[in-house]
Amino acid sequence: MSTVGINWIRFLRQHGPLSRNDSMYDEQIHRLARRLGVSPLSFEHPLERRLLGVFSADGPSPVSVVLTGTAGDGKTHLCGKVWRHVDGDLAAWGSDEQYFTKPILVGGRAVTLHLIRDLTALPEHDEQGRYADKASLLQRLARATFDTSSTDVFLIAANDGQLLEEWTRAGNDDRTVAARDLFERLLVEDLSETAEVPLLFCNLSRRPCSQLLDLALDALLTHTAWQACYDSAEPEGFFSGNCPIRRNYELLKDPLVRSRLRNLFELCDHSDLHTPIRRILLLLSNALLGHPGVKDRLMQAGDIRSIVAAGTTAKASLFSNIFGGNLTDTRRESLEIFEFLNRFRIGYETSNKIDNILIFGAADDSLRPLYERLLASDSFYGADEWYRAAQLAYIESAEEDDGSAATFLATLVAQRRRLFFTLPDDLAEPLRLWDLTMFQYAGEYLARVLYPLKQNAPVERAILSRLVRGLNRVFTGLLATTDRDLLLATSLSYSGARVSQILEDRIPVTPRLHERIALVLCNDRPTLSVHLAENVKRILGLNLTRYEFLSRVAEGALPGSFSRECYEDILAFKSQVLAALTERRRAEPPQGPQPLYLRLLDLDPSGNAIEQPVEVLND
Amino acid sequence: MIDQALRVPPPRPADHLQNEMWVDEQIWGHRLWDTQSPWLLFLEFLSVAEAKRRDGMLLDERGQLYPLQFRPNKRMGLRNLLFNNESMSRTAARLADNNSAWSEWLQEMHETAQGVSPPDFTYLRSHFRSFHQLELLLALLRSSAVESDSNRRWTSRFLFPFGPNALYEDLTVKGSTQPSREYINFGRTGELLYMMLCRADCANALRPCLDRFLAGDNPWNTLVGVLQPEGDQDRSLREASYLPYRRHSAFDRLGEDWLAVCRLQLPGFDAYPHLVTLSALHVALYQLAIAADQCATTRPHFICELVAPRKTLVRELSTMSYLDNAQLSRRAVESLISGIAESPEWLDAASQSNAFSLCKTILQDKVRWPRAAHPEDYDGPEDPARLLGDLRTNASNRHRQHAGNIHRTYGGGAGLVSRRGTNRLRYAPNDGLIKALVLANVQQRMEFGQFLATLFNRYGFVFGEREAERVLGKDDLDKRAFQANAERLERRLATLGMLRRLSDACAYVINPLWSVGQHDRG
Repeated sequence: MSTVGINWIRFLRQHGPLSRNDSMYDEQIHRLARRLGVSPLSFEHPLERRLLGVFSADGPSPVSVVLTGTAGDGKTHLCGKVWRHVDGDLAAWGSDEQYFTKPILVGGRAVTLHLIRDLTALPEHDEQGRYADKASLLQRLARATFDTSSTDVFLIAANDGQLLEEWTRAGNDDRTVAARDLFERLLVEDLSETAEVPLLFCNLSRRPCSQLLDLALDALLTHTAWQACYDSAEPEGFFSGNCPIRRNYELLKDPLVRSRLRNLFELCDHSDLHTPIRRILLLLSNALLGHPGVKDRLMQAGDIRSIVAAGTTAKASLFSNIFGGNLTDTRRESLEIFEFLNRFRIGYETSNKIDNILIFGAADDSLRPLYERLLASDSFYGADEWYRAAQLAYIESAEEDDGSAATFLATLVAQRRRLFFTLPDDLAEPLRLWDLTMFQYAGEYLARVLYPLKQNAPVERAILSRLVRGLNRVFTGLLATTDRDLLLATSLSYSGARVSQILEDRIPVTPRLHERIALVLCNDRPTLSVHLAENVKRILGLNLTRYEFLSRVAEGALPGSFSRECYEDILAFKSQVLAALTERRRAEPPQGPQPLYLRLLDLDPSGNAIEQPVEVLND
Repeated sequence: MIDQALRVPPPRPADHLQNEMWVDEQIWGHRLWDTQSPWLLFLEFLSVAEAKRRDGMLLDERGQLYPLQFRPNKRMGLRNLLFNNESMSRTAARLADNNSAWSEWLQEMHETAQGVSPPDFTYLRSHFRSFHQLELLLALLRSSAVESDSNRRWTSRFLFPFGPNALYEDLTVKGSTQPSREYINFGRTGELLYMMLCRADCANALRPCLDRFLAGDNPWNTLVGVLQPEGDQDRSLREASYLPYRRHSAFDRLGEDWLAVCRLQLPGFDAYPHLVTLSALHVALYQLAIAADQCATTRPHFICELVAPRKTLVRELSTMSYLDNAQLSRRAVESLISGIAESPEWLDAASQSNAFSLCKTILQDKVRWPRAAHPEDYDGPEDPARLLGDLRTNASNRHRQHAGNIHRTYGGGAGLVSRRGTNRLRYAPNDGLIKALVLANVQQRMEFGQFLATLFNRYGFVFGEREAERVLGKDDLDKRAFQANAERLERRLATLGMLRRLSDACAYVINPLWSVGQHDRG
């Protein structure tokens, strides 16, 4: 029997959450792939084509490149691709060497390429005598960056923090300091190039991870080795009808499951949470192979027989593994990707509707059809006999502190997680899929805000009104229901006070003259822009948390409850808009002596903001 | 020791006959008063600054370092309207008719107003047609009063400082007599603060900013002006505060922080809460810095804990750090007295035959004690050693009553010293202080490690392991405890919206209000 399938699983397992040394990861994976006789996962990084173009003979004029990001973003991998592209010495690449040089042709000009694979690992002094010390090499790059006639071109890969630190240590001459300031600005402001210098600055951390997930899933799920797994199926064992690995693989191919996973990653992108490629592969490996009862908590081909015999296949549920449910608490908390996904609290959030189906569905006539459709139909990870027994015990148990309650509640977590990925789209609205997560408005955010904006279509008015209502409640500190205008309120002494009752101005949502409020896409992120005059506007980026916060406040939550950070953010935004108001007033023609006129804010019984004008006469 | 060239000559004894002795005042000035909250400190400062601005001498001592003379406003008419006016709401509720409400209320005010003559408020009718609107406005203004929840007499309640029309000094009034100045709420530390800013390096740069605050170019100030009768010119001369140093790095740091906050050009009065916090902090730091100079020890440092859910090593060290610093001022007083006792002058006099009367003269010259007019100051045996001993005891007791509490009260008022989460005092900066420190020290952004270093270099605050190493030495330093402490600070800054984390190794402290003022620039 061919061992390709078994080796493939072994290879996949190495990508998972095993404790190992992370340095030279790329090389280790390649060596392992060669040893096991499988081809490694490969896909084209979105930046690859651009990068290779920069170092091509027919490319534009020479530019230096800095690749930065966190560990696992694929910097070394991309450097390897470039090195192959310029016909560099592959044997040298396989060694521990960090610094490579080669004369190449770029844009018709002959230049020397200096490739530094990992800036931190670069030794202080070079054994081959190519550079005096690290500092002088960096100074040389700084000069190359600012001096257009230089014949040096650099490609440097470094983690972002260390990039700046190394440069601070590289010396104090003008060029070096200028280079460091430039890198800092590009890093913090998320830019990739500036017109002034021939430099391409790629921060791989800024790639949307949903895009990387797509590439990784495609490469993983269409790999030829899976067919070998089918071919080498053992009865009641590896890749049989009862094999959890096979089940997980088939589930991951299911478009519904895949789209829900992608949604989660998109939401991570819009919460400014980044995860590098290495961690995505770790997640997928764990998702397919995780099981709490085996060695290293990742299954191997040899484990399947005993798992099936013991009847613990349900513990290998893909849906729990995605959240690291198979790992120990400390391990899970130490891995960022699981920490991000667990922020959605899927499995712990729920609604009455869903829990009713889960708990009482089998017994209740009105709920039974849904129960059959959603749970009973899946005997693998859904309502198996074990689940039914625990459910019965829970409902009928007489005593409070019976252990059965705890086990059943733990199963409920697993079932809710499963439901999140398998609830059919037609039931997503009526059963409120996103109530299973911490962000109840996330589904709306994706479907009714992000999607239309990407198609250049306007967002529904109802959503904009709700956001304005939320803003009004935070701006005024009152339970206002006004949603047609943005109320710019301040208190006497402090514009950031909790309750602000002096109305400075109202900005209408519907355009009037130059005033309006709109939801637009800015840098691929939804933003709310408040226009006060032709050249005067302020914008508020709407990441997922802020969107959730404003929506919840609009529907009645207290501003201090969901997120303190958001509350402070919104108050800072108010400060900015008030400053813009002053700017606009200053640009208006002066109006001579005016009587002192104030507008005090109050609410009528239905919550609309009404103004009480107070006028002071100066006789 | 303190550089004598930087000292200002002491004032004549006749100016301060109320002072039992001249010890705390010699070291720190007349005077540091502990029962003055940070807002009251700021308000006292503003009333001095307003008076000096009226004289055309804002932040400019013109070489005259003593005495600080100024004529602050009293504004008894306004204060009666705002804080001695219970009848107004009753009248407004009872009488709906405008005219009858006016006449009844004016009559009542005529009878109950204190400290203002003539007690005539009829001028208000010409500015406010509607009595009920006036009542609404006064209620609104009253709600903006500073520290309105403290139970003070009505003459010590203060309006928010909208502008010069809203500034006045602390007074007391009994019956229908003239109001008089009592130094309980405005204890003169605000006057010291004014002098410190005058003598800071950047006083010239600070002047236009302060001028803008005091110009009162906003509708609230105008409104408050309209509430007062024309020509309310009742002002008395105030003087006699003394700051013993021409220049000091503590003054410069205070000025730099003020300047940084002012330069942000925050809208409205948003800068004030931060200036209040920073002023209280710098007064406390001034006292400790001078005490350290006097004792000839190193600059004080402050091990700061970010409140953790459990007791940590940093909390222990922070408590000890607090206790060390709390003793500094007392040690400074003792050092002064020991200096006298070990001076050749004293030793010489003590060996003479009329030792006692010679020593007594020395003391009267140096510390103005025992006072000739108060024989009860010292009635023990005629022994120089006993005399000195009594001086020590009395000075220490006196110090403990007021000047010795500055570290605790101003440190607490600034948000540095607290008991939160434990039952002992230690250094645990609260959000208000952290915010103020970021606004004063970070321009657009600053790398986090550099931020920690700046806090250490400028104030002596220790948060992270590098600074802890400099202060505690390398051996038995628990690096991880301090690393965790610095991480907690990072998280706190992130919650306040003041931190941008790029990756594990890289975080930047951001000043979110930096760009608020930039739009208005040029």
